[in-house]
Amino acid sequence: MNILVVEDHQELANEVIDYLSKNGYVCKWANSCSAALEEINSNDFDILLLDLGLPDGSGFDVLKEVRKTQSKMAVIILTARGELDDRINGLQLGADDYLTKPFALTELGARIYAIVRRIHGFMVNDLNIHGFSLQLQDYKLSYNGIPVNLTKKEFDIFQYLVLNKNRVITRLQLTEHIWGDILEVNSDSNFIDVHVRNLRKKLDKHTSLEWFETVRNVGYRINV
Amino acid sequence: MLPVLIEKVVYKHINTSLLEKKEKFICNLDKQEINDFIVRNDATETYSSFSTLHSEFLQLSRLPKNALINKTIFITEPRIIEEERNDYMILQYDFIYEKTAYRLEIGNSLSEIKELTFTIRFFILIVLFIILAVTFLMDTFYIEYLLKPFNKIIDTKIRRVNEPDTFDHTPINTHSTDFQELDTVLNQMMDRISELFNKERQFIANVSHELLTPIALLKNKFENLLQNDSLNDNAVDKIASSLRTLDMLKKVINNLLLISRIENNQYETNETIDLKEIFSNLIEDLKDRMDEKGLILTLNLQYNFPFIGNKTLIHILLYNLMVNAIKYNRKNGSIIISDGFLKEKYYLSISDTGIGMDESQVSQIFNRFTRINADQEGQGLGLAIVNSIARFHHIDIEVTSVPNEGTTFTLLLSNNRKLN
Repeated sequence: MNILVVEDHQELANEVIDYLSKNGYVCKWANSCSAALEEINSNDFDILLLDLGLPDGSGFDVLKEVRKTQSKMAVIILTARGELDDRINGLQLGADDYLTKPFALTELGARIYAIVRRIHGFMVNDLNIHGFSLQLQDYKLSYNGIPVNLTKKEFDIFQYLVLNKNRVITRLQLTEHIWGDILEVNSDSNFIDVHVRNLRKKLDKHTSLEWFETVRNVGYRINV
Repeated sequence: MLPVLIEKVVYKHINTSLLEKKEKFICNLDKQEINDFIVRNDATETYSSFSTLHSEFLQLSRLPKNALINKTIFITEPRIIEEERNDYMILQYDFIYEKTAYRLEIGNSLSEIKELTFTIRFFILIVLFIILAVTFLMDTFYIEYLLKPFNKIIDTKIRRVNEPDTFDHTPINTHSTDFQELDTVLNQMMDRISELFNKERQFIANVSHELLTPIALLKNKFENLLQNDSLNDNAVDKIASSLRTLDMLKKVINNLLLISRIENNQYETNETIDLKEIFSNLIEDLKDRMDEKGLILTLNLQYNFPFIGNKTLIHILLYNLMVNAIKYNRKNGSIIISDGFLKEKYYLSISDTGIGMDESQVSQIFNRFTRINADQEGQGLGLAIVNSIARFHHIDIEVTSVPNEGTTFTLLLSNNRKLN
């Protein structure tokens, strides 16, 4: 998977590229509209991560250019401008997703994964981990063929942790993933823990869970 | 003023006519005639002649020899002629003719004068009224015509403009320089306002970009740092707490930006709001938190009251109110949501059984960064946002609260907001 990161803030671009590279994506960086268009014209990318506020114009201009061609490249807009109009405008211009800064890298990872699944016609359906199999299409989990009954939230949490395996996922990240970008300050209460506890209880019936780690005061990690 | 003037003119006219009659009479006077007059009525040595309707009379009488000869005077006094008493304006003229003093009196009935003045006054009054009416009508039409551009300016440039963006800059068609000037000045003023609006919009966009991009960077750095296995527990704790602080910072900025954007009219209101639908989404989202506190929710919406607004904003408004009702509730308390109609208005109320507030606290809650208790979580922006959104949608909010019993927030929408 080739990803072009269009972001004028170099350090931020580095963090994003660093994270994505570790997850097996091949990344290139462009810091302006013109550089982005140049890259797009000379290379094939599967996914474009597009910042809107660029030094030589708006990311929308790049998006318009991209959509003029037959390119099937998926576009995720990354922006600090959380305005509703921008969001609608972006999606109307043919963006596939929209993420407001500051976003969690793991959230970006999850969104990219969803797009990858779509590009491949939902062929990559199952995630397998320590004998568990997550059927993403219909929110079903099984352990060696035995169905495990999870609520939607429990499934979402498990999927998010599995997608970002070997990473510490904070409660905050989980809360944001499950409940969205809510405006309420100090919203990471322990109710996320309730769901994780229930999830662990259900998984624990089938196998020991030493790989499902609780990181004290911080969050959770699934190790492989 | 006018009646006095008329009276004066009429009196003057009568006096002149009396004088003329006197001159005529004196001119033609001879001995024979005097005798004719006097003999006919020796007893009083007076001669009288009057018109049939007693409107005029003429009287000649002999005066005692030594009487003072007055020249001409006018008097007003009542006289009885043929047993009819009338007020007369009388010209008295004493003269000597062939060594005999005579007094000539010529009278003119005052009632006639009064009639005359009345007629004149009446006529003038009618003329006055007609002039008044004509002037009024003409003025009205003329002013209407003259002020046509003015009304057009008021209507198209001021009343119908809610946002600088929708302002119509086409000049109003008028020949009056005053209105042209007014129009120009209004256009300039609106240009300045929309410039300010745009500047603020630009500023908000810049603030979001300039502040949120570094936060994004820090957040991503900390998250990447957290994956480092060589970190000890202490370092992990510090990173986690930094991430929480960053999250708080992000949310405070986003909340302030939200308020600014609402007050800068950056949101569209063109969606149909279905409160039942919004509540069912909210309850789904907040179920965990209510369960955690053992709260019992009673959702009792009996009426459909669809109205036009911004769905996202109304969702945030109700979300903030619901979160407050949960956060400040006691364990195993309850939340009651109900609606109804009160004084031509639709109301929606959210009541909790929480800690409540006293009156001074209630008056403060909609201010930014107000926190009722020192140990309270959050930044005190939730209700400020509620207030902004409500004002943006022309919704009134009433708060009633009893300490240690609970608080009720009531949203009021006027009936005519309802969509059919």
